[in-house]
Amino acid sequence: MNRKTKRRVTGVIRFIVLAFYFLLVVLPIYWMIVTSFKTNAEIINAQLITYWPHTFTLDNYKGLFSTIHYGTYLKNSLIVTLSTSVVVTILSIYGGYGLARFSFKGKGAAMVFFLITQMIPSILVIIPLYVVFAKMKLIDTYASLFIFYTVTNLPFCAITMRSFFERIPYALEEAAAIDGCSRAQTLWKVVLPVMFSGIVAVFVFAFIGAWNELIAGTIFLNSQKMWTIPIGLKSLVGKYNVDWGSMMAGGCLALLPTAIMFIFVQKYIVEGMTAGAVKG
Amino acid sequence: MSSKKSGSKLSLQTRRKLQPYFYIAPVMILLLLMFGYPLIKSIIMSFQDYKLSRLDKVSWNNFKNYAAMFSDKNFGLLLKNSLLYVISAVLAQFLLGLGLALTLNGKFKGRGIYQSIVFLPWAFSAFVVGLLFRWSFNGEYGVVNDVLKKLGLIDTGISWLGTPGLSLLVVIFAMIWIGIPFFGINILAALQSVPSDIYEAADMDGCGTIRKFFTLTLPYIKPTIIMTILLRTIWIFNSFDLVVIITEGGPANYSQTLPSYMYTQAFASYDFGLAGAFGVLLMVILTLYALIFLRITKYDKAGDF
Repeated sequence: MNRKTKRRVTGVIRFIVLAFYFLLVVLPIYWMIVTSFKTNAEIINAQLITYWPHTFTLDNYKGLFSTIHYGTYLKNSLIVTLSTSVVVTILSIYGGYGLARFSFKGKGAAMVFFLITQMIPSILVIIPLYVVFAKMKLIDTYASLFIFYTVTNLPFCAITMRSFFERIPYALEEAAAIDGCSRAQTLWKVVLPVMFSGIVAVFVFAFIGAWNELIAGTIFLNSQKMWTIPIGLKSLVGKYNVDWGSMMAGGCLALLPTAIMFIFVQKYIVEGMTAGAVKG
Repeated sequence: MSSKKSGSKLSLQTRRKLQPYFYIAPVMILLLLMFGYPLIKSIIMSFQDYKLSRLDKVSWNNFKNYAAMFSDKNFGLLLKNSLLYVISAVLAQFLLGLGLALTLNGKFKGRGIYQSIVFLPWAFSAFVVGLLFRWSFNGEYGVVNDVLKKLGLIDTGISWLGTPGLSLLVVIFAMIWIGIPFFGINILAALQSVPSDIYEAADMDGCGTIRKFFTLTLPYIKPTIIMTILLRTIWIFNSFDLVVIITEGGPANYSQTLPSYMYTQAFASYDFGLAGAFGVLLMVILTLYALIFLRITKYDKAGDF
Protein backbone atom coordinates (compact mmCIF):
# COMPACT_ATOMS: atom_id res chain seq x y z
CA MET A 1 0.00 0.00 0.00
CA ASN A 2 1.43 3.35 -0.87
CA ARG A 3 1.00 6.36 1.35
CA LYS A 4 -1.91 7.87 -0.54
CA THR A 5 -4.14 4.80 -0.48
CA LYS A 6 -3.23 4.23 3.14
CA ARG A 7 -4.38 7.72 4.00
CA ARG A 8 -7.58 7.21 2.03
CA VAL A 9 -8.36 3.94 3.85
CA THR A 10 -7.79 5.62 7.22
CA GLY A 11 -10.11 8.41 6.11
CA VAL A 12 -12.88 5.98 5.18
CA ILE A 13 -12.56 4.08 8.45
CA ARG A 14 -12.66 7.31 10.41
CA PHE A 15 -15.78 8.39 8.54
CA ILE A 16 -17.51 5.08 9.32
CA VAL A 17 -16.61 5.33 13.00
CA LEU A 18 -17.75 8.95 13.19
CA ALA A 19 -21.03 8.06 11.47
CA PHE A 20 -21.57 5.15 13.88
CA TYR A 21 -21.30 7.34 17.00
CA PHE A 22 -23.32 10.11 15.41
CA LEU A 23 -26.22 7.81 14.52
CA LEU A 24 -26.01 6.05 17.88
CA VAL A 25 -26.65 9.34 19.67
CA VAL A 26 -28.91 11.08 17.18
CA LEU A 27 -31.36 8.33 16.23
CA PRO A 28 -32.96 7.93 19.70
CA ILE A 29 -33.16 11.72 20.06
CA TYR A 30 -34.68 11.98 16.59
CA TRP A 31 -37.29 9.41 17.52
CA MET A 32 -38.23 11.31 20.66
CA ILE A 33 -38.61 14.60 18.77
CA VAL A 34 -40.59 13.05 15.90
CA THR A 35 -42.95 11.24 18.28
CA SER A 36 -43.60 14.46 20.18
CA PHE A 37 -45.03 16.11 17.04
CA LYS A 38 -47.36 13.22 16.10
CA THR A 39 -51.05 12.86 16.86
CA ASN A 40 -52.01 10.15 19.29
CA ALA A 41 -53.79 8.19 16.55
CA GLU A 42 -50.60 8.10 14.52
CA ILE A 43 -48.47 7.12 17.50
CA ILE A 44 -50.54 4.07 18.39
CA ASN A 45 -51.04 2.81 14.86
CA ALA A 46 -49.23 -0.53 15.02
CA GLN A 47 -49.84 -1.20 11.31
CA LEU A 48 -47.92 1.81 10.09
CA ILE A 49 -45.02 3.25 11.99
CA THR A 50 -44.18 6.62 10.48
CA TYR A 51 -40.68 8.08 10.45
CA TRP A 52 -41.95 11.61 9.90
CA PRO A 53 -45.27 12.97 11.28
CA HIS A 54 -48.09 12.55 8.73
CA THR A 55 -50.09 15.16 10.54
CA PHE A 56 -47.84 17.57 12.33
CA THR A 57 -49.31 18.68 15.65
CA LEU A 58 -48.31 20.85 18.59
CA ASP A 59 -51.07 19.41 20.79
CA ASN A 60 -48.65 17.39 22.91
CA TYR A 61 -46.78 20.56 23.83
CA LYS A 62 -49.92 22.62 24.37
CA GLY A 63 -51.26 19.85 26.58
CA LEU A 64 -48.19 20.04 28.80
CA PHE A 65 -48.78 23.68 29.61
CA SER A 66 -52.54 23.34 30.15
CA THR A 67 -52.99 19.97 31.92
CA ILE A 68 -49.75 19.76 33.87
CA HIS A 69 -48.27 23.00 35.15
CA TYR A 70 -45.08 22.87 33.16
CA GLY A 71 -44.28 26.54 33.76
CA THR A 72 -44.43 26.09 37.52
CA TYR A 73 -42.21 22.99 37.35
CA LEU A 74 -39.72 24.89 35.22
CA LYS A 75 -39.56 27.67 37.80
CA ASN A 76 -39.11 25.20 40.67
CA SER A 77 -36.43 23.29 38.80
CA LEU A 78 -34.54 26.50 38.05
CA ILE A 79 -34.64 27.71 41.66
CA VAL A 80 -33.45 24.42 43.13
CA THR A 81 -30.88 23.67 40.42
CA LEU A 82 -29.29 27.13 40.20
CA SER A 83 -28.93 27.51 43.96
CA THR A 84 -27.46 24.02 44.19
CA SER A 85 -24.93 24.56 41.42
CA VAL A 86 -23.74 27.92 42.73
CA VAL A 87 -23.18 26.60 46.24
CA VAL A 88 -21.60 23.34 45.04
CA THR A 89 -19.21 25.29 42.82
CA ILE A 90 -18.09 27.63 45.61
CA LEU A 91 -17.65 24.81 48.13
CA SER A 92 -15.79 22.74 45.52
CA ILE A 93 -13.38 25.60 44.84
CA TYR A 94 -12.38 25.77 48.51
CA GLY A 95 -12.36 22.02 49.10
CA GLY A 96 -10.63 21.25 45.82
CA TYR A 97 -7.99 23.92 46.42
CA GLY A 98 -7.31 22.62 49.91
CA LEU A 99 -6.90 19.06 48.67
CA ALA A 100 -4.76 20.01 45.70
CA ARG A 101 -2.35 22.50 47.25
CA PHE A 102 -1.64 21.25 50.74
CA SER A 103 -0.41 18.04 52.23
CA PHE A 104 -1.83 17.53 55.70
CA LYS A 105 -2.73 14.89 58.23
CA GLY A 106 -5.89 13.04 57.30
CA LYS A 107 -5.74 13.85 53.61
CA GLY A 108 -5.67 10.18 52.66
CA ALA A 109 -8.61 9.49 54.94
CA ALA A 110 -10.50 12.40 53.39
CA MET A 111 -9.97 10.95 49.91
CA VAL A 112 -11.17 7.52 51.03
CA PHE A 113 -14.21 9.15 52.59
CA PHE A 114 -15.04 10.83 49.27
CA LEU A 115 -14.94 7.41 47.63
CA ILE A 116 -17.17 5.92 50.35
CA THR A 117 -19.80 8.63 49.82
CA GLN A 118 -20.12 7.38 46.24
CA MET A 119 -20.81 3.84 47.44
CA ILE A 120 -23.74 4.69 49.69
CA PRO A 121 -26.98 3.85 47.86
CA SER A 122 -29.04 7.04 47.48
CA ILE A 123 -32.06 5.44 49.12
CA LEU A 124 -30.04 4.97 52.31
CA VAL A 125 -29.35 8.69 52.37
CA ILE A 126 -32.90 9.65 51.49
CA ILE A 127 -34.73 7.58 54.13
CA PRO A 128 -32.94 8.89 57.24
CA LEU A 129 -32.93 12.43 55.82
CA TYR A 130 -36.67 12.21 55.28
CA VAL A 131 -37.17 11.56 58.99
CA VAL A 132 -34.84 14.45 59.91
CA PHE A 133 -36.41 16.83 57.37
CA ALA A 134 -39.88 15.93 58.64
CA LYS A 135 -38.84 16.91 62.17
CA MET A 136 -37.33 20.15 60.90
CA LYS A 137 -40.46 20.90 58.84
CA LEU A 138 -38.41 20.91 55.66
CA ILE A 139 -40.52 18.43 53.72
CA ASP A 140 -42.15 20.03 50.71
CA THR A 141 -39.71 22.96 50.63
CA TYR A 142 -37.03 23.98 48.14
CA ALA A 143 -34.54 23.67 50.99
CA SER A 144 -34.96 19.90 51.25
CA LEU A 145 -33.95 19.34 47.64
CA PHE A 146 -31.31 22.08 47.76
CA ILE A 147 -29.61 20.39 50.74
CA PHE A 148 -29.87 16.90 49.26
CA TYR A 149 -28.63 17.89 45.80
CA THR A 150 -25.78 19.98 47.21
CA VAL A 151 -24.57 17.12 49.35
CA THR A 152 -24.91 14.41 46.72
CA ASN A 153 -23.18 16.41 43.97
CA LEU A 154 -20.43 17.81 46.18
CA PRO A 155 -18.03 14.83 46.43
CA PHE A 156 -17.59 14.34 42.68
CA CYS A 157 -17.43 18.08 42.01
CA ALA A 158 -14.87 18.73 44.77
CA ILE A 159 -12.64 15.88 43.57
CA THR A 160 -12.92 17.07 39.98
CA MET A 161 -12.09 20.63 41.03
CA ARG A 162 -9.07 19.30 42.91
CA SER A 163 -7.73 17.67 39.75
CA PHE A 164 -8.29 20.93 37.85
CA PHE A 165 -6.21 22.80 40.44
CA GLU A 166 -3.48 20.20 40.23
CA ARG A 167 -3.12 20.93 36.53
CA ILE A 168 -2.27 24.55 37.14
CA PRO A 169 1.42 25.22 37.60
CA TYR A 170 2.29 26.08 41.17
CA ALA A 171 4.78 28.65 39.93
CA LEU A 172 1.85 30.94 39.23
CA GLU A 173 0.98 31.09 42.91
CA GLU A 174 4.57 31.40 44.05
CA ALA A 175 4.95 34.45 41.88
CA ALA A 176 1.84 35.97 43.43
CA ALA A 177 3.07 35.16 46.93
CA ILE A 178 6.35 36.92 46.23
CA ASP A 179 4.34 39.93 45.09
CA GLY A 180 2.77 39.97 48.55
CA CYS A 181 -0.58 38.33 47.89
CA SER A 182 -2.11 36.28 50.68
CA ARG A 183 -3.21 32.76 49.92
CA ALA A 184 -6.90 33.71 49.67
CA GLN A 185 -6.04 36.68 47.43
CA THR A 186 -3.94 34.42 45.24
CA LEU A 187 -6.79 31.96 44.92
CA TRP A 188 -9.35 34.54 43.86
CA LYS A 189 -7.21 36.89 41.80
CA VAL A 190 -4.60 34.65 40.24
CA VAL A 191 -5.73 31.04 40.20
CA LEU A 192 -9.46 31.26 39.54
CA PRO A 193 -9.24 33.40 36.40
CA VAL A 194 -7.09 30.77 34.67
CA MET A 195 -9.43 28.09 36.01
CA PHE A 196 -12.43 29.43 34.13
CA SER A 197 -13.05 26.29 32.10
CA GLY A 198 -12.77 24.07 35.17
CA ILE A 199 -15.23 26.20 37.11
CA VAL A 200 -17.71 26.12 34.25
CA ALA A 201 -17.33 22.35 34.07
CA VAL A 202 -18.03 21.83 37.77
CA PHE A 203 -21.00 24.19 37.65
CA VAL A 204 -22.44 22.20 34.77
CA PHE A 205 -21.86 18.85 36.52
CA ALA A 206 -23.82 20.07 39.53
CA PHE A 207 -26.50 21.62 37.32
CA ILE A 208 -27.04 18.43 35.35
CA GLY A 209 -27.03 16.30 38.49
CA ALA A 210 -29.65 18.42 40.23
CA TRP A 211 -31.77 19.15 37.15
CA ASN A 212 -32.25 15.48 36.27
CA GLU A 213 -32.81 14.01 39.73
CA LEU A 214 -36.14 12.32 40.25
CA ILE A 215 -36.26 9.90 43.20
CA ALA A 216 -35.44 12.30 46.06
CA GLY A 217 -37.81 14.83 44.50
CA THR A 218 -40.73 12.41 44.59
CA ILE A 219 -40.00 11.62 48.24
CA PHE A 220 -39.23 15.09 49.63
CA LEU A 221 -41.95 17.01 47.78
CA ASN A 222 -45.66 16.37 48.20
CA SER A 223 -47.60 19.29 46.80
CA GLN A 224 -47.83 19.73 43.07
CA LYS A 225 -46.90 23.41 43.16
CA MET A 226 -43.43 22.47 44.46
CA TRP A 227 -42.69 19.79 41.87
CA THR A 228 -39.67 19.95 39.62
CA ILE A 229 -39.78 18.94 35.94
CA PRO A 230 -38.86 15.25 36.38
CA ILE A 231 -41.55 14.78 39.03
CA GLY A 232 -44.12 16.53 36.86
CA LEU A 233 -43.22 14.28 33.96
CA LYS A 234 -43.39 11.20 36.13
CA SER A 235 -46.95 12.12 37.07
CA LEU A 236 -47.81 11.64 33.39
CA VAL A 237 -46.80 8.00 33.60
CA GLY A 238 -49.43 7.24 36.18
CA LYS A 239 -52.03 9.75 35.09
CA TYR A 240 -52.49 8.73 31.48
CA ASN A 241 -50.88 5.32 31.74
CA VAL A 242 -49.01 5.55 28.42
CA ASP A 243 -49.53 8.88 26.72
CA TRP A 244 -46.38 8.64 24.65
CA GLY A 245 -46.92 11.87 22.73
CA SER A 246 -47.08 13.98 25.88
CA MET A 247 -44.21 12.09 27.46
CA MET A 248 -41.91 12.56 24.50
CA ALA A 249 -42.86 16.25 24.30
CA GLY A 250 -42.21 16.58 28.03
CA GLY A 251 -38.93 14.75 27.60
CA CYS A 252 -37.85 17.16 24.87
CA LEU A 253 -38.68 20.17 27.03
CA ALA A 254 -36.91 18.65 30.03
CA LEU A 255 -33.74 17.96 28.06
CA LEU A 256 -33.66 21.24 26.15
CA PRO A 257 -32.06 23.47 28.83
CA THR A 258 -29.31 21.04 29.77
CA ALA A 259 -28.73 20.06 26.13
CA ILE A 260 -28.26 23.68 25.02
CA MET A 261 -26.01 24.43 27.97
CA PHE A 262 -23.98 21.30 27.37
CA ILE A 263 -23.47 22.03 23.68
CA PHE A 264 -21.87 25.35 24.61
CA VAL A 265 -19.77 24.22 27.54
CA GLN A 266 -18.60 20.70 26.67
CA LYS A 267 -15.37 22.07 25.22
CA TYR A 268 -14.63 23.78 28.54
CA ILE A 269 -15.12 20.46 30.29
CA VAL A 270 -12.55 18.73 28.09
CA GLU A 271 -10.29 21.78 28.32
CA GLY A 272 -10.55 21.94 32.11
CA MET A 273 -9.69 18.27 32.42
CA THR A 274 -6.74 18.46 30.10
CA ALA A 275 -3.40 18.80 31.83
CA GLY A 276 -1.21 21.55 30.44
CA ALA A 277 -4.16 23.32 28.87
CA VAL A 278 -3.50 26.28 31.10
CA LYS A 279 -0.27 27.98 30.30
CA GLY A 280 1.24 29.35 33.48
CA MET B 1 3.38 38.14 53.70
CA SER B 2 1.12 37.02 56.51
CA SER B 3 3.89 37.18 59.10
CA LYS B 4 3.39 40.94 59.18
CA LYS B 5 0.08 40.45 61.00
CA SER B 6 1.79 40.10 64.36
CA GLY B 7 -1.42 40.93 66.21
CA SER B 8 -2.74 37.46 65.59
CA LYS B 9 -2.71 35.16 68.60
CA LEU B 10 -1.70 32.07 66.65
CA SER B 11 1.91 31.68 65.69
CA LEU B 12 2.74 31.66 62.03
CA GLN B 13 3.65 28.01 62.20
CA THR B 14 0.33 26.96 63.75
CA ARG B 15 -1.54 29.02 61.22
CA ARG B 16 0.38 27.37 58.41
CA LYS B 17 -0.53 23.98 59.81
CA LEU B 18 -4.19 24.84 60.19
CA GLN B 19 -4.53 26.57 56.84
CA PRO B 20 -5.44 23.48 54.78
CA TYR B 21 -8.23 22.63 57.20
CA PHE B 22 -9.84 26.04 56.71
CA TYR B 23 -10.17 25.25 53.02
CA ILE B 24 -11.52 21.73 53.30
CA ALA B 25 -13.53 22.12 56.53
CA PRO B 26 -16.79 23.38 54.92
CA VAL B 27 -16.89 20.46 52.50
CA MET B 28 -15.78 17.81 54.98
CA ILE B 29 -18.13 18.90 57.77
CA LEU B 30 -21.08 18.99 55.40
CA LEU B 31 -20.29 15.59 53.93
CA LEU B 32 -19.52 13.95 57.28
CA LEU B 33 -22.85 15.16 58.65
CA MET B 34 -25.01 14.46 55.64
CA PHE B 35 -23.48 11.15 54.60
CA GLY B 36 -22.15 10.03 57.98
CA TYR B 37 -25.45 10.28 59.79
CA PRO B 38 -27.53 8.44 57.16
CA LEU B 39 -24.79 5.83 56.82
CA ILE B 40 -24.70 5.04 60.54
CA LYS B 41 -28.48 5.32 60.80
CA SER B 42 -29.06 2.82 57.99
CA ILE B 43 -26.59 0.34 59.42
CA ILE B 44 -28.50 0.57 62.70
CA MET B 45 -31.83 0.28 60.88
CA SER B 46 -30.64 -2.87 59.16
CA PHE B 47 -30.57 -4.59 62.58
CA GLN B 48 -33.98 -3.27 63.56
CA ASP B 49 -37.62 -3.88 62.94
CA TYR B 50 -38.02 -0.46 61.31
CA LYS B 51 -41.24 0.17 59.45
CA LEU B 52 -42.33 3.69 58.58
CA SER B 53 -45.93 2.73 59.40
CA ARG B 54 -44.91 1.72 62.93
CA LEU B 55 -42.19 4.16 63.92
CA ASP B 56 -43.29 3.94 67.57
CA LYS B 57 -42.53 0.22 67.61
CA VAL B 58 -38.95 0.22 66.39
CA SER B 59 -37.05 -2.63 68.05
CA TRP B 60 -33.86 -4.64 67.59
CA ASN B 61 -34.29 -7.85 65.68
CA ASN B 62 -30.66 -8.89 65.34
CA PHE B 63 -30.06 -10.49 61.96
CA LYS B 64 -33.70 -11.01 60.97
CA ASN B 65 -33.48 -8.53 58.09
CA TYR B 66 -30.33 -10.15 56.77
CA ALA B 67 -31.89 -13.60 57.10
CA ALA B 68 -34.95 -12.38 55.19
CA MET B 69 -32.73 -10.88 52.49
CA PHE B 70 -30.59 -13.96 51.91
CA SER B 71 -33.54 -16.34 52.03
CA ASP B 72 -35.55 -14.26 49.56
CA LYS B 73 -36.40 -16.60 46.68
CA ASN B 74 -35.28 -13.91 44.22
CA PHE B 75 -31.90 -13.34 45.82
CA GLY B 76 -29.87 -15.47 43.42
CA LEU B 77 -31.58 -13.94 40.40
CA LEU B 78 -31.04 -10.40 41.75
CA LEU B 79 -27.36 -10.98 42.31
CA LYS B 80 -26.92 -12.53 38.86
CA ASN B 81 -28.81 -9.66 37.18
CA SER B 82 -26.84 -7.03 39.09
CA LEU B 83 -23.51 -8.52 38.07
CA LEU B 84 -24.57 -9.00 34.46
CA TYR B 85 -25.89 -5.42 34.36
CA VAL B 86 -22.85 -3.75 35.87
CA ILE B 87 -20.18 -5.79 34.09
CA SER B 88 -21.66 -5.55 30.59
CA ALA B 89 -22.60 -1.88 30.94
CA VAL B 90 -19.19 -0.79 32.28
CA LEU B 91 -17.27 -2.86 29.75
CA ALA B 92 -19.29 -1.60 26.77
CA GLN B 93 -19.18 2.01 27.95
CA PHE B 94 -15.45 1.83 28.44
CA LEU B 95 -14.71 0.31 25.02
CA LEU B 96 -17.13 2.56 23.16
CA GLY B 97 -15.97 5.61 25.14
CA LEU B 98 -12.35 4.80 24.39
CA GLY B 99 -13.16 4.42 20.70
CA LEU B 100 -14.98 7.73 20.70
CA ALA B 101 -12.14 9.52 22.48
CA LEU B 102 -9.53 8.13 20.08
CA THR B 103 -11.61 9.27 17.11
CA LEU B 104 -12.12 12.74 18.56
CA ASN B 105 -8.45 13.13 19.36
CA GLY B 106 -7.62 13.78 15.69
CA LYS B 107 -8.40 16.91 13.73
CA PHE B 108 -11.27 16.94 11.26
CA LYS B 109 -13.74 19.39 9.84
CA GLY B 110 -16.71 20.15 12.11
CA ARG B 111 -15.11 18.50 15.13
CA GLY B 112 -16.52 21.09 17.54
CA ILE B 113 -20.14 20.54 16.55
CA TYR B 114 -19.66 16.79 16.26
CA GLN B 115 -18.22 16.61 19.76
CA SER B 116 -21.13 18.61 21.21
CA ILE B 117 -23.59 16.15 19.71
CA VAL B 118 -21.95 12.86 20.61
CA PHE B 119 -21.40 13.95 24.22
CA LEU B 120 -25.04 15.01 24.63
CA PRO B 121 -26.33 11.90 26.45
CA TRP B 122 -24.29 12.99 29.46
CA ALA B 123 -26.68 15.90 29.94
CA PHE B 124 -29.77 13.71 29.73
CA SER B 125 -31.80 12.48 32.65
CA ALA B 126 -32.03 8.76 33.25
CA PHE B 127 -35.76 9.21 33.60
CA VAL B 128 -36.26 10.64 30.11
CA VAL B 129 -33.77 8.24 28.53
CA GLY B 130 -35.53 5.36 30.27
CA LEU B 131 -38.88 6.45 28.86
CA LEU B 132 -37.39 6.88 25.41
CA PHE B 133 -35.95 3.35 25.42
CA ARG B 134 -39.17 1.92 26.82
CA TRP B 135 -41.05 3.57 23.98
CA SER B 136 -38.57 2.57 21.27
CA PHE B 137 -38.51 -1.07 22.40
CA ASN B 138 -42.30 -1.23 22.76
CA GLY B 139 -43.46 -4.60 21.40
CA GLU B 140 -46.39 -3.22 19.43
CA TYR B 141 -45.59 0.33 18.37
CA GLY B 142 -41.86 0.31 18.93
CA VAL B 143 -39.52 1.62 16.27
CA VAL B 144 -36.84 -1.00 17.00
CA ASN B 145 -39.06 -3.91 15.93
CA ASP B 146 -40.13 -1.96 12.84
CA VAL B 147 -36.55 -1.32 11.79
CA LEU B 148 -35.55 -4.95 12.38
CA LYS B 149 -38.54 -6.10 10.30
CA LYS B 150 -37.67 -3.72 7.47
CA LEU B 151 -34.10 -5.00 7.48
CA GLY B 152 -35.50 -8.55 7.21
CA LEU B 153 -33.90 -9.65 10.48
CA ILE B 154 -37.18 -10.64 12.13
CA ASP B 155 -40.64 -11.58 10.83
CA THR B 156 -42.77 -10.84 13.86
CA GLY B 157 -42.25 -8.21 16.51
CA ILE B 158 -40.24 -9.16 19.58
CA SER B 159 -41.75 -8.51 22.98
CA TRP B 160 -38.56 -6.94 24.29
CA LEU B 161 -39.88 -5.82 27.64
CA GLY B 162 -42.00 -8.90 28.24
CA THR B 163 -39.36 -11.56 27.64
CA PRO B 164 -37.04 -12.75 30.42
CA GLY B 165 -33.46 -11.93 29.45
CA LEU B 166 -34.40 -9.38 26.81
CA SER B 167 -35.93 -6.89 29.23
CA LEU B 168 -32.66 -6.61 31.17
CA LEU B 169 -30.85 -6.24 27.86
CA VAL B 170 -32.91 -3.11 27.04
CA VAL B 171 -31.98 -1.64 30.43
CA ILE B 172 -28.32 -2.41 29.71
CA PHE B 173 -28.58 -0.75 26.27
CA ALA B 174 -30.02 2.39 27.83
CA MET B 175 -27.31 2.45 30.50
CA ILE B 176 -24.58 2.03 27.88
CA TRP B 177 -26.06 4.80 25.74
CA ILE B 178 -26.23 7.29 28.57
CA GLY B 179 -22.74 6.48 29.89
CA ILE B 180 -20.48 6.51 26.82
CA PRO B 181 -19.84 10.29 27.02
CA PHE B 182 -18.52 10.13 30.58
CA PHE B 183 -15.79 7.74 29.48
CA GLY B 184 -15.36 9.63 26.19
CA ILE B 185 -14.80 13.03 27.80
CA ASN B 186 -12.47 11.74 30.51
CA ILE B 187 -10.35 9.69 28.15
CA LEU B 188 -10.28 12.46 25.53
CA ALA B 189 -8.98 14.92 28.11
CA ALA B 190 -6.33 12.40 29.15
CA LEU B 191 -5.34 11.83 25.52
CA GLN B 192 -4.95 15.54 24.96
CA SER B 193 -2.63 15.72 27.95
CA VAL B 194 -0.21 13.25 26.39
CA PRO B 195 2.83 15.30 25.34
CA SER B 196 3.24 15.02 21.58
CA ASP B 197 7.03 14.76 21.73
CA ILE B 198 6.88 11.22 23.12
CA TYR B 199 5.44 10.13 19.78
CA GLU B 200 8.19 11.79 17.78
CA ALA B 201 10.85 9.43 19.11
CA ALA B 202 8.57 6.47 18.47
CA ASP B 203 7.95 7.67 14.92
CA MET B 204 11.68 7.83 14.31
CA ASP B 205 12.04 4.28 15.59
CA GLY B 206 9.36 3.27 13.10
CA CYS B 207 6.69 2.23 15.63
CA GLY B 208 3.31 1.27 14.16
CA THR B 209 0.06 2.94 15.24
CA ILE B 210 -1.13 -0.02 17.28
CA ARG B 211 2.18 -0.50 19.02
CA LYS B 212 2.36 3.21 19.78
CA PHE B 213 -1.09 3.00 21.37
CA PHE B 214 -0.19 0.10 23.67
CA THR B 215 3.32 1.17 24.63
CA LEU B 216 2.96 4.96 24.81
CA THR B 217 -0.65 6.14 24.94
CA LEU B 218 -2.17 3.48 27.17
CA PRO B 219 0.30 3.80 30.07
CA TYR B 220 -0.18 7.57 29.96
CA ILE B 221 -3.98 7.46 30.18
CA LYS B 222 -4.12 4.45 32.51
CA PRO B 223 -4.77 6.46 35.73
CA THR B 224 -7.75 8.15 34.07
CA ILE B 225 -9.11 4.83 32.85
CA ILE B 226 -8.76 3.24 36.28
CA MET B 227 -10.50 6.09 38.09
CA THR B 228 -13.27 6.30 35.52
CA ILE B 229 -13.96 2.57 35.61
CA LEU B 230 -13.95 2.60 39.41
CA LEU B 231 -16.41 5.47 39.68
CA ARG B 232 -18.67 4.26 36.88
CA THR B 233 -18.85 0.75 38.35
CA ILE B 234 -19.89 2.14 41.71
CA TRP B 235 -22.51 4.44 40.18
CA ILE B 236 -23.96 1.85 37.83
CA PHE B 237 -24.04 -0.89 40.46
CA ASN B 238 -26.10 1.35 42.77
CA SER B 239 -28.33 2.83 40.06
CA PHE B 240 -31.86 1.61 39.79
CA ASP B 241 -33.76 4.38 38.00
CA LEU B 242 -33.47 2.84 34.52
CA VAL B 243 -34.76 -0.51 35.75
CA VAL B 244 -37.70 1.09 37.54
CA ILE B 245 -38.60 3.28 34.55
CA ILE B 246 -38.10 0.81 31.69
CA THR B 247 -39.26 -2.54 33.06
CA GLU B 248 -40.27 -2.08 36.70
CA GLY B 249 -38.15 -5.18 37.19
CA GLY B 250 -40.40 -7.26 34.97
CA PRO B 251 -41.31 -9.65 33.71
CA ALA B 252 -41.48 -11.39 37.10
CA ASN B 253 -38.25 -9.86 38.48
CA TYR B 254 -36.22 -11.03 35.48
CA SER B 255 -34.72 -7.56 35.04
CA GLN B 256 -34.68 -6.70 38.75
CA THR B 257 -31.31 -5.81 40.28
CA LEU B 258 -30.38 -5.61 43.97
CA PRO B 259 -30.80 -1.81 44.26
CA SER B 260 -34.02 -1.69 42.22
CA TYR B 261 -35.46 -4.50 44.34
CA MET B 262 -34.39 -2.66 47.45
CA TYR B 263 -36.11 0.51 46.24
CA THR B 264 -39.31 -1.36 45.34
CA GLN B 265 -39.37 -3.21 48.65
CA ALA B 266 -38.60 -0.09 50.67
CA PHE B 267 -41.50 1.86 49.23
CA ALA B 268 -43.95 -0.99 48.73
CA SER B 269 -43.87 -2.13 52.35
CA TYR B 270 -42.05 0.81 54.00
CA ASP B 271 -39.83 -1.83 55.58
CA PHE B 272 -36.71 0.28 55.97
CA GLY B 273 -34.97 -2.35 58.10
CA LEU B 274 -34.92 -4.72 55.16
CA ALA B 275 -33.91 -1.89 52.81
CA GLY B 276 -31.06 -1.11 55.21
CA ALA B 277 -29.86 -4.71 55.04
CA PHE B 278 -29.84 -4.59 51.24
CA GLY B 279 -27.99 -1.28 51.37
CA VAL B 280 -25.32 -2.64 53.70
CA LEU B 281 -24.87 -5.62 51.36
CA LEU B 282 -24.42 -3.27 48.38
CA MET B 283 -21.80 -1.25 50.24
CA VAL B 284 -19.92 -4.38 51.35
CA ILE B 285 -19.83 -5.66 47.76
CA LEU B 286 -18.63 -2.27 46.47
CA THR B 287 -15.97 -1.93 49.17
CA LEU B 288 -14.60 -5.37 48.35
CA TYR B 289 -14.69 -4.51 44.66
CA ALA B 290 -12.83 -1.22 45.20
CA LEU B 291 -10.16 -2.85 47.35
CA ILE B 292 -9.56 -5.68 44.89
CA PHE B 293 -9.72 -3.42 41.84
CA LEU B 294 -7.25 -0.90 43.26
CA ARG B 295 -4.95 -3.71 44.34
CA ILE B 296 -4.80 -5.49 40.99
CA THR B 297 -4.38 -2.22 39.10
CA LYS B 298 -1.63 -1.36 41.63
CA TYR B 299 -3.32 1.98 42.10
CA ASP B 300 -3.61 1.74 45.87
CA LYS B 301 0.09 2.45 46.28
CA ALA B 302 -0.17 5.68 44.36
CA GLY B 303 -1.83 7.10 47.48
CA ASP B 304 -4.37 8.85 45.35
CA PHE B 305 -6.88 6.11 45.82
